[in-house]
Amino acid sequence: MLNRETATFKRTYAEDMALYPAPLPRYTILVLLFLFFVVVPLVSSEYTLGVANLLGIASFGALGLNLLVGYTGQISIGHAAFMSVGAYTSAMLVSIMGLHWGLGMIAGGAAAAFLGMLVGIPSLRIKGLYLAISTLAAQLIIEWGINHLPFIPGGAGGSIYMDKPSIFGFQLKTNLSFYYFIYVVLVIGIVFALNLFRTHLGRSMIAVRDRDIAAEIIGINIFKVKLTAFGIASFYAGITGVLYTYYFGVANYEAFTLVVSIQFLAMIIIGGLGSVLGSVFGAVFISLLPIVLDIFLRRVGGEFMEESQIAAITTQIQLMLYGGLIMLFLVVEPDGLRKLWRNITDYFKVWPFPYL
Amino acid sequence: MLYNIELMINGLLVGALYALIALGFVLIYKASDIINFAQGEFVMFAGFILAASLQTYGLPLYVAILLAVVGMTVLALLVNRLVLQYMIGRGVVSVIMATIGLAAFLQGTAGLFFGIDTKDVPLPISEEPIFLYDILLSPLELYAALAAFVCIGLVSWFFIKSRIGIALRAIADDQQVSLAMGIDVKLYFAISWCVAGLIAVVGGIVWGHLLGVDTQLALVGLKVFPVVILGGLDSIIGAIVGGLIIGVVESLAAGFLDPIVGGGTKDFTPYVLMIIVLMFRPYGLFGKADIERV
Amino acid sequence: MTLLLVAGVFGTNASANEYTIGLMCDRSGVTGTIGNLICPGFHDYIRLFNKQNRLPGHTLKVMEIDHGYNVPRGVEAYERFKAAGVMTIALYGTPHTVALTPKLSEDHILGTSPGFGSAAGANGERFPYLFPAAASYWSQVASAVQFIQNNWKGSTQPKIAYIYYDNPAGREPLTIIGDLQKQLGFELQTYAVPAPGIEMRPQVLDITRKFKADWVVAHFFGQTGVALKEFSRMGHPREQMIGLVWAGGESDMKVAGWDKADGYYTVQMAHVGKDHPVNQEIVAMYKAEGKAPPEEMELSVYYNRGVSWAALHSEAIRATVESKGPNITPADVKNAMERINGYSERNFMPPFKMSPQDHEGGGYVRIFQVHDGGFRAASDWMQGYRDVVMKHVVSGE
Repeated sequence: MLNRETATFKRTYAEDMALYPAPLPRYTILVLLFLFFVVVPLVSSEYTLGVANLLGIASFGALGLNLLVGYTGQISIGHAAFMSVGAYTSAMLVSIMGLHWGLGMIAGGAAAAFLGMLVGIPSLRIKGLYLAISTLAAQLIIEWGINHLPFIPGGAGGSIYMDKPSIFGFQLKTNLSFYYFIYVVLVIGIVFALNLFRTHLGRSMIAVRDRDIAAEIIGINIFKVKLTAFGIASFYAGITGVLYTYYFGVANYEAFTLVVSIQFLAMIIIGGLGSVLGSVFGAVFISLLPIVLDIFLRRVGGEFMEESQIAAITTQIQLMLYGGLIMLFLVVEPDGLRKLWRNITDYFKVWPFPYL
Repeated sequence: MLYNIELMINGLLVGALYALIALGFVLIYKASDIINFAQGEFVMFAGFILAASLQTYGLPLYVAILLAVVGMTVLALLVNRLVLQYMIGRGVVSVIMATIGLAAFLQGTAGLFFGIDTKDVPLPISEEPIFLYDILLSPLELYAALAAFVCIGLVSWFFIKSRIGIALRAIADDQQVSLAMGIDVKLYFAISWCVAGLIAVVGGIVWGHLLGVDTQLALVGLKVFPVVILGGLDSIIGAIVGGLIIGVVESLAAGFLDPIVGGGTKDFTPYVLMIIVLMFRPYGLFGKADIERV
Repeated sequence: MTLLLVAGVFGTNASANEYTIGLMCDRSGVTGTIGNLICPGFHDYIRLFNKQNRLPGHTLKVMEIDHGYNVPRGVEAYERFKAAGVMTIALYGTPHTVALTPKLSEDHILGTSPGFGSAAGANGERFPYLFPAAASYWSQVASAVQFIQNNWKGSTQPKIAYIYYDNPAGREPLTIIGDLQKQLGFELQTYAVPAPGIEMRPQVLDITRKFKADWVVAHFFGQTGVALKEFSRMGHPREQMIGLVWAGGESDMKVAGWDKADGYYTVQMAHVGKDHPVNQEIVAMYKAEGKAPPEEMELSVYYNRGVSWAALHSEAIRATVESKGPNITPADVKNAMERINGYSERNFMPPFKMSPQDHEGGGYVRIFQVHDGGFRAASDWMQGYRDVVMKHVVSGE
């Protein structure tokens, strides 16, 4: 965060423990909140809001995955599968059993968390590559289950339609109303994550990531910490699935395939492992990449190519860029966009007196 | 009864082909501890080179194979030099993501240069089935299985007998000591990637002919994981045995489990089997039992 | 970045006498091999439409966005179409069709989804702005069974094996074929090929050596080449196999080998081949521009589907302008689409008979047979067991 750390004095414990002890970041947060909740909705077109909604949901999902991969060091290639668990649980509860959408949301997250902890059990015995492959198996098995388990309805199409949620009789229909809904949830998610790593549990997660054996020796129950991390990450994934479902008005498992899991991993790699801000950066970057590239090539290529020719090459270039950027970041800047941002803010921390 | 035997034999033949892909994977893991999620894309890329030179340019088969060998060697060297060399010793997440990024990159490149439509790799092999005591066998798969076993035999010999193989085993055992003993670790990593590229050419010929070449061909890479976990990540013999077991399990699941469940279980059972193995014997049937416990 | 976004969105706003059609496509995702053939066909027909000045004083414009079979990107594409003020939207992909169906009704924009989405989407009263606008999987399988019945010479009912790719679209025909089995009394066994469906020997073994099926109905998405090879190895006559719409492209036959596919029947929703006047006109258009005819036309099964898809969109817009004048809204186009009756672009595609209830247009298909390295028509445009299909469309499952 934009930050100047000079001349901050703390007089009470409460001040010392504040999330943002220095005054400038506090104002920055207020300005950002004002920007996102007042200015953006006022000036944005319907289209921009639609994109913003997708970015918000993706950020929430990436944040959850980062808690597991970036902070606890447990890799998961099954994040999207847990999203589908949340999506189907909430859609079934709300549209078929007629429960309130809020309950459906929490139940969706809880169901995903439960399954996530189940998948996390092997993490006691195995780690690294083995864990990666067993979460890959979880992804494929959950996909298969949603397709075949008889108690999951949705007909042959595999999709459950549901009415969009309404708050105090006001139905969320427009992109604007969903914008508020999604961003309030996102802010809650971010605040929770920021605070989590100021607690005993959060610190234990980081300890397990950095050196698990040492962590065990100083008395951290590794198994419990790992399982909790799986649970929390999957809860976030479940809520992400629920958000998609409420926003689209339908739960469909094809939105949560292996490719999507990999995309979320790419988000946190490019954004920065072990960083809340990085998760958001990565989600925005990966989601906007194809859109911006498409619009750019359409503008530039439109001068000398047919529409259909542009379309034919855009997608291949997009795939190459996507893969290439993942590799480039891993080789050149393993800490991701967050680090680049850090470099900029660090520069301004002491600007204009770099000798201080 | 006949049907059951045919199912078994089919499973074994397909399993040999899985083993072929798993071999490339094991080779790289053994030498450099790198988990190659792009193994399927390697096979796909080799298939594209073959199909393009056979179909688009009408070259004879041996020239096409030669081109594929050269192409895959260059590709493997480039990949090793530009990306994966930097990944050695990095965390699992980084290594996995680097090869996943490589996979996406290869998909895009193949689509851009070779076109995205399905191509085929014609081989001069008869498709007429052979009947052995009434048991139906297809010559293509017999040849393919033969090719797989020849490859596996060569690689095994290479690892056990040749000087390069001994160096590779030394590196796999302890990188630091190997360095101290004067083994050029980077060179040998490059060599192991080249060998994996060559195995991908064989995979590209066989699988490309069986399935047709397009970007979907890369999906055969997903078959690798149950095979190598079952057999043990760093064991060549494990890749063979794991491949055969998975092949038979799949075949039998499709024959017997499908009618009961009322859906396809063939691609799902290997993963269940794999999870059971992970629970009780994480290093697989033949792997080195030095899994780090916490 | 924001600047670029804004420029891109507002830069595509249509001029007064230009109507935009939003075309979603998948050129890089799992169905990319098909999308790369369909979408060029769509573009070419619209260009031909403009060249021939079919809508005097106006032109049509296609705005294509690739979503790589990724749902959020499909939703983004929809938002961009909406911001660009499109008249109609061509939806690509089943999960996208499903995810956007509620939005279409909210925004009153017509969307077509030939071959995508669920068959129940044909119910115009439940989904007023969604037009499957080509035979659904239900209609296809009913027509396939009808075709088998027409051609079966045995004294008892044939044994039919239904082999399908194990996804929702693959399972969709199960209800209809099950109903028909009860009604007609043929023996039926179903075989699922799970993803990624790269190998299906056990299923084929069962069909040919254990069940000994007389006819095989195949429902695949790109696995057809492998399947045909397997069936040919097992010696099942290809003359007793029929594939639904995604199981009969030229590239599939190429993978299988044309000689091994010879005799195989395919269900088609548009003309196959490049001999039709519409194809000839497109070739002539390219020639007049001094260019070679499009490569994609060589694979005419999917290319022509793109052409017919575009023809339906342009006809709906043309009919709207004809009756309402130049100032039209997407809702007007939807009403015109519902009034299309018998339009077939010179028999290039089925004679669509739309109504506010039936958004499928009658569910006509035509059977083509693989013959001598090409396709030949084996039937006229036909419907199969329409009563059974409509019963399910009305009940919605």
